[in-house]
Amino acid sequence: MITDADMKKSLGLYIHIPFCKRKCLYCDFCSVAGGNEELVERYAASLKTCLTQYAKMAEGYAVDTVYFGGGTPTLLPIGLMGEILDACFSNFDITRDAEITCETNPATASAEYLSTIRKFGINRLSIGLQSMMENELRALGRIHGREDFLRTFSDARKAGFDNISVDLMYGIPEQTMESFKDTIEKTVKLSPEHISAYCLKVEENTPFGRMGDKLILPDDDEASDMYEECVKSLARAGYSRYEISNFAREGRESKHNLRYWLGREYLGIGAAAHSYFGGERFAFSPNITAFANGEFSACEREKIDTEERMREQVMLRMRLQIGVNADEFESEFGIPFETRFSEIKRFIDSGHVAFDGKNYRFTDEGFFVSSYILSEILDFS
Amino acid sequence: MSKAEMQKNIRNFSIIAHIDHGKSTLADRLLEATAAVAKRDMESQILDNMDLEKERGITIKARAVRLEYLHDDGEKYILNLIDTPGHVDFNYEVSRSLNACDGALLVVDATQGIEAQTLANAYLAVDADLEIVPVINKIDLPSANIEGVRHDIEEIIGIPAEDCPAVSAKTGLNINDVLKAVVEQVPAPKGDPDAPLKCLIFDSYYDSYLGVVVYVRVMDGTLHSGDRIKMMSNGIEFDVIDVGYMGAFGLNKQDSLSAGEVGYITASIKSVGDTRVGDTVTLASNPANEPLPGFKAVQPMVYAGIYPADGAKYGDLRDSLEKLQLNDAALVFEPETSVALGFGFRCGFLGLLHMEIIEERLEREFNLDLITTAPSVIYEVDLKGGERVRIDNPSNYPTADEIDVAYEPIVKASIITPTEYVGGLMDLCQDRRGNFIDMKYIDTTRVELHYELPLNEIIYDFFDALKSRSRGYASLDYELGDYVPSKLVKLDFLLNGEQVDALSFIVHEEKAYTRARRIAEKLKENIPRQLFEVPIQAAIGSKIIARETVKAMRKDVLAKCYGGDITRKKKLLEKQKEGKKKMRQLGSVQVSPEAFMAVLKLDDDN
Repeated sequence: MITDADMKKSLGLYIHIPFCKRKCLYCDFCSVAGGNEELVERYAASLKTCLTQYAKMAEGYAVDTVYFGGGTPTLLPIGLMGEILDACFSNFDITRDAEITCETNPATASAEYLSTIRKFGINRLSIGLQSMMENELRALGRIHGREDFLRTFSDARKAGFDNISVDLMYGIPEQTMESFKDTIEKTVKLSPEHISAYCLKVEENTPFGRMGDKLILPDDDEASDMYEECVKSLARAGYSRYEISNFAREGRESKHNLRYWLGREYLGIGAAAHSYFGGERFAFSPNITAFANGEFSACEREKIDTEERMREQVMLRMRLQIGVNADEFESEFGIPFETRFSEIKRFIDSGHVAFDGKNYRFTDEGFFVSSYILSEILDFS
Repeated sequence: MSKAEMQKNIRNFSIIAHIDHGKSTLADRLLEATAAVAKRDMESQILDNMDLEKERGITIKARAVRLEYLHDDGEKYILNLIDTPGHVDFNYEVSRSLNACDGALLVVDATQGIEAQTLANAYLAVDADLEIVPVINKIDLPSANIEGVRHDIEEIIGIPAEDCPAVSAKTGLNINDVLKAVVEQVPAPKGDPDAPLKCLIFDSYYDSYLGVVVYVRVMDGTLHSGDRIKMMSNGIEFDVIDVGYMGAFGLNKQDSLSAGEVGYITASIKSVGDTRVGDTVTLASNPANEPLPGFKAVQPMVYAGIYPADGAKYGDLRDSLEKLQLNDAALVFEPETSVALGFGFRCGFLGLLHMEIIEERLEREFNLDLITTAPSVIYEVDLKGGERVRIDNPSNYPTADEIDVAYEPIVKASIITPTEYVGGLMDLCQDRRGNFIDMKYIDTTRVELHYELPLNEIIYDFFDALKSRSRGYASLDYELGDYVPSKLVKLDFLLNGEQVDALSFIVHEEKAYTRARRIAEKLKENIPRQLFEVPIQAAIGSKIIARETVKAMRKDVLAKCYGGDITRKKKLLEKQKEGKKKMRQLGSVQVSPEAFMAVLKLDDDN
């Protein structure tokens, strides 16, 4: 039987909740600490209005991934969370098997809260653990300890979440290879379905960025060793790397995040939220108050023409383990991949990129220097 | 007033001093006191025209100005103040400027006493037969020791200083004493206004409207506008458009210039290369029998390759060098190509300061980003075939089996230092292959050291090392000596097995190993990690004498993107790509221009 959903185009929905208990020392994302109740309420109201408006654009689309990102989305009062989810369901055609993810941080959501959002329809939880080491968590400026995480994880399982992702970080202050291994081991023991492991990047406008030389981090070699260790030990535990920083049990890849890498459409709603829709990339201003006041104008807008789409495809798909499929590329763009991006040959020769006759993909050596290689391969106009 | 009467009331003098002893400030005060410049109009230190000179506190090019002074005897005097460059690179120009004078004010800092350049300048003035008038400056400072300095001047230089002016150029105290001393002690110029014309060129500069403006001191004869003149060194003739004198605010025309006067000539001259400092100007119709003594064409002593950081700016660099050359006959350049750096120029300079000045002017006034190779002196090599060649570029250095004897230039250096630093400075000179000549006690606290030093040992960082080992108290002066046989080798560097020509240099055999190791280490620090391991090798001929390795890059990856912000990721990659465009490809290795410079600069260590 052919359903409506099969006929419709697929869409992802991203909803940004920019509130946190405290800002972490490395964080330069759009979020405020201790947003007052009134602002949160107005912000939530704006999200609802905006969802209604955007829904008109999304006619003819079926939404099969929804993602609540932050900030810390679970800081939203449960009533507001319900209202926003309701606005999603009532305005968009959300498929029955849609992946609906909510990010959370330990010690921000009670067992009851988690159980309620599970009932609302959220079926995937992404928990920001970062490290199992108390000293490292403190050094990052996280508000939680290991026990907080363990409680949240167990509460989530009890609430019925059978699809949980855990975020880890490496290359962070006070971390050693041993402590990172320990974090991985303790995480794997809990058997989450998905693990993300990100290398700390020091951004300018953060407390870390301002610390300059006083911030002592594992050096590039140590960070590379940690990455290698991470890939190896997660593989042993049954998690395969499907994207540079993302690891999953079979079939548990993040469908929403895959959209980004596969160049599929998504609408982002909320301050600083980005969209890729109708051949354009656009975003809301990061001004949270403005969004709460109902100012929804896009702050950046870029048409993605064929040339740009080709470049994006290299940049994004090469992040995936499967890489770029040569036949698909040629049939989509009418030019062989190795003709359009001829520089890639150099990196096949050097062993950083592999070509198996079908797909171009980074080798283990290539992944961790992918930015360098991409900047060589890509030609920006 | 007859010409003879006028001559009686002219005084031609210059001010000489060690750097920072207040020469320019004193010049300002003299201008002010003679009302050539109203105080409110006065930009501080008017004689130093270029920004660079102001910043460095030194005078690079000579300038001259006429002051009018009413003396106690009721007569009006014309005082021509001829400024001199204050650095050893410009010694020849200094000597020509002094030859244009009849007297010199020797400024000595009352807190510092006599320094190396004080002595060197005093000797130059004595050589030029000048009447020396000592002036003790900075007497307003609490640490001023006026009597001690008077004593030193008499003892060390041997000229009376009992009644010499003691002033504060900064506050203007006793400035009139200086003017009085100039009139009373500096002799009036001699010279016959009716003899065949002889003018000494002591400076010239290019003006886009007037052509070259030539500064001269008329020694004999009289020059009128409209006369046809001849340069005695090269025989080139010009028709004089204007003659006149230099006021504080510009040129003032006169009908003529005659013996004893200091003034300018314009004659639609296109290049300062035709009006060399020290040359004699005479009349084409009635030439002098022989030129004034002492002319020599200045030769560059230091050579370096100058390349645009952005290869596309090669044409701009050439235009800029040509413009600078209009005003700087000592600057020479010719195109050269480097495998590593592309198209550029091999440039010759009078010395390291001259080189730095040119570099800074190219960067500041012409907005160019440059890569400059290590400075090199000129070596001479007797080939086995009997021919002698001059080498100004290490790339052209013959191979060991072609060389019979190699020669390098040495300098005669004089260092004045407080006694407590003598040991450290002797170690320094020894380390720089110095040959000790003698040591003289100036007084109980200070000595004068004489060394012969290879020029290539002092062109990099010798002056800085000297200052750091003497807490800034030692001073240096040197003059170029002879070429001496030397065991020289050419040191090459290889990145990833490929030789980088721009990094090669010539060094004494004994120094090769340490220098090779140091540069290899510096290369290692400054070459960013590449996708592959990069071996760095230093070699003499085919023999590797030092080795380092830049490990392969392992981490260059973008962190996660939140909320699907692909645009930001793209921008980061684009920025990275932009950054790469500025990189220089040295064989298969990418190096930023900054890193390249960091390797070439050796002055931060020793």
